[in-house]
Amino acid sequence: MRLTVNGTEHEVVAPPLTTLLHVLREELFVTSPKAGCQQGGCGACTVLVDGEPRRACLIPLAAVEGAAIATVEGLGEADELSGVQAAFHEHYAAQCGFCTSGFVMAAQALVVRGDGAIEREEVIEALSGHLCRCTGYVKIVDAVTAAVRSEVTTGSPA
Amino acid sequence: MGVVDAPQVIVAGSREEAVSAFGDGSDVTVVAGGTIVMPEITHGRLSPRRALLIGRAGLSGVRSEQGRTTIGATTTIAELEDAAEPLGACARGLADVEIRGQATLGGNLCAPPGDESPRGDLQAALLALDAEVHSTGAGGERTEPVEDFLAAGPDGRLVLDVAFADPQAGASAAVRRPHAHAYTIMRVCAARVGGELRVAVSGAGPTAVRSRAVESAVADGADSAAAAERVLDDVAPHDDALASSWYRGRTLPVLVRRALDDLR
Amino acid sequence: MKAVGARLPRYDGIAHVTGRTQYVDDVRVHGTLWCKALRSPHHSALILSIDTTKARALPGVHAIVTHEDVPHNVYGHLEGLGVPADEPLLAEGDVRWKGQPIAAVAAESEEIAQAAVDAIEVRFEQREPILDIRTAADPDAGEHFHQWGAIYPHFGPHNHRRVRKGDVEAAFDAADVIVEGVYRPQAIEHCPLETQVSLVVPEPSGRLTIYSCTQAMYFSMGVVAAHLEWPLNKLKFVGGTVGGGFGGKVDTATETICALLAIQARRPVKWRFTREEEFLTSSTRAPWHIEIRDAVTKDGWILGRRMLTLHDAGGYARFSPYGLTKHAFHHTGAYTIPNLRFDGFVLFTNRVPTTAMRGFGVTSVSLATELHLSRVAEQLGMNPLELRLKNANRVGDTTGNRVVMHDPSTVVVTLAAADAAGYELGEDYRAMTSERRSGDLLPEHLVAQQAPDGEHLATYRATNGGAR
Repeated sequence: MRLTVNGTEHEVVAPPLTTLLHVLREELFVTSPKAGCQQGGCGACTVLVDGEPRRACLIPLAAVEGAAIATVEGLGEADELSGVQAAFHEHYAAQCGFCTSGFVMAAQALVVRGDGAIEREEVIEALSGHLCRCTGYVKIVDAVTAAVRSEVTTGSPA
Repeated sequence: MGVVDAPQVIVAGSREEAVSAFGDGSDVTVVAGGTIVMPEITHGRLSPRRALLIGRAGLSGVRSEQGRTTIGATTTIAELEDAAEPLGACARGLADVEIRGQATLGGNLCAPPGDESPRGDLQAALLALDAEVHSTGAGGERTEPVEDFLAAGPDGRLVLDVAFADPQAGASAAVRRPHAHAYTIMRVCAARVGGELRVAVSGAGPTAVRSRAVESAVADGADSAAAAERVLDDVAPHDDALASSWYRGRTLPVLVRRALDDLR
Repeated sequence: MKAVGARLPRYDGIAHVTGRTQYVDDVRVHGTLWCKALRSPHHSALILSIDTTKARALPGVHAIVTHEDVPHNVYGHLEGLGVPADEPLLAEGDVRWKGQPIAAVAAESEEIAQAAVDAIEVRFEQREPILDIRTAADPDAGEHFHQWGAIYPHFGPHNHRRVRKGDVEAAFDAADVIVEGVYRPQAIEHCPLETQVSLVVPEPSGRLTIYSCTQAMYFSMGVVAAHLEWPLNKLKFVGGTVGGGFGGKVDTATETICALLAIQARRPVKWRFTREEEFLTSSTRAPWHIEIRDAVTKDGWILGRRMLTLHDAGGYARFSPYGLTKHAFHHTGAYTIPNLRFDGFVLFTNRVPTTAMRGFGVTSVSLATELHLSRVAEQLGMNPLELRLKNANRVGDTTGNRVVMHDPSTVVVTLAAADAAGYELGEDYRAMTSERRSGDLLPEHLVAQQAPDGEHLATYRATNGGAR
């Protein structure tokens, strides 16, 4: 079965009902999406499927054959962070970091959607499927709000 | 014999293929958005012998013609956020962005009772809208009122689409748990369809329930507050991790009153 | 001092935002087997027999362990602190909480491991569970499941943590009002985003490399070494980033069992808790039952306090005696109460054994004492912050354990909080400081508890005798 992940096409051999999360982590060694609950409730497995944020733990492989999957690994590297990544780092939006990948991809989807006038409440609503037990969310909301407003209005990282 | 039997997986590419593969539904697990079924499979509580994926079978889409709206079974909740009230409000209040993008109308309609989790958020809207369910299964295709579909249960039926006459008015009121891990605990939907008031409740029982007692009270001239009290004639709120029956019982009449007031 | 006050980037920040941070579950070692545990379905039961024959016969199963495979099964995590061992790694003879591990399997896949677990046959004889600490020690509660009885007995010669100071009887006789309250903070699940997980790799040298999510590497190393009866230098612990712990990842919940399986299977073994396992079987913050009775004067002096605390340890002692000790130490909160009678009991119930969670032992007593002070203020018709300021710790005050206060912050912090909240306070309260009590702030009943001025500063004169 063919799957494109972060721009690279892969031929995966996992059985068709295997979750996308399992395929990414165990077969393709893309480990940024995390197994937080495997029930879709925590958000830590969130990836982009054809640009839309989705729970990888809820998607059977057969349902995304041919789709383009985006994960944190494809956003940017240490020497060139994407706007969202830079904002998370600047705003101290990660403590243990386990929830970070999911939040970053959800934030990336917001950036791509492009609402430079986004309100804090809308950011909170958009991130409402993601749990964080460390930070208390405030800095995450700060980072995402800044990233979405800045990235969209200036086209460059916050 | 291996310890784990690998299931046969069918990815239906068309409506015909889905209907044919489903047959009488006796030996097949349907996977639409996967939000309810996949955790069961992942945790070994469900081991399908045959899994039928219908997400690419052309069963999605919203069609509106001559005052009637038809919604394909695999239409996502996200695509219903602007649907006629109260369906739109139900969709907007369902879980979070990612779940709404994956979960489907059909899956929601066929959802088993939530064991400590919210299920069937859209059912109350469909009851209030007097929707009809078009499904296939043993005996072929049939169309029936959503109330009958819910009463019979989804086993053996594959929902193809749901349709309703566009309402004259629609309203709802809900108890929501917002922010991190958002979901709707309980919602009351009200709609005026063909001159008739219909009121239904989700989140206070295994499936959504229509409240004829409230409808009759209004028809008999009771004001919103008085009519709202009658909802407990039709609904026995339960205890679970989301809310106690006491809390549900206290807030339910308030929600009914608000929905009725908004409808006027 | 370039770092203090400077805005420094997190050293792990870049790794977090690029998805590169490595957690235990991200480590990939060729040939890793999956572990699943057989857990008790009963709150309390005798184990009559365990039969793993059918499980062992399943293809893809590489190892199964029960208590028979554990060189040193009953080890106490806090033996070094005087808490004797009471908890088996794998159940032996009985189970004392629903979810207690009885056996564990290592297999080629999670599905096979779970099928093998399901194929292990255990015969139980159920016992009536004990679930309420208020009645756990009742004489008519019947025989208790714990070998020490309902009450943990190893606080020196006592079966409870005690604080005795002054004359609490006299204080209660002298009081204008007695204020009573019961406070019952309940269990809290840590719920870290990363569930309990470890990966144990047998090395060709005979050592084990253990990738662990523990918050306490050296501590966990000692636990594993003790159970295995191995020298420490045969273990290599690799920690790193913990995906949230909050005190819940000090129990060494997975490492030892994985180690035993890895030794038996001669393959790496990983055990990652499911979220259900995390909620239902991982340790929690303990439930507490706290009864406070304060002897109080009309003008807001707290003359004395009687306090009873019941702490729910669950099925085994683990760290509970330590938590209760800290609780006892802080039972007067940030306030000076001269006459005290505190009794705290650790009780065994058939609940999940409880453990540390942020503020272990102290959050419960802080909640209780602060709620209680507000209750006192309410009953006296007094401003709740003024009540606190009056009774606040000051320099030279002594705690229940006779520790002398040198730099207490109660007054300063309370005033700052009042400012920040725009809270009205009387002039004399606004002017209060932490300085040593005197005048109106030193009523008769606080004189005896006050340490002599400057006692904490000793001087000495060295003699030259005995110099080498």
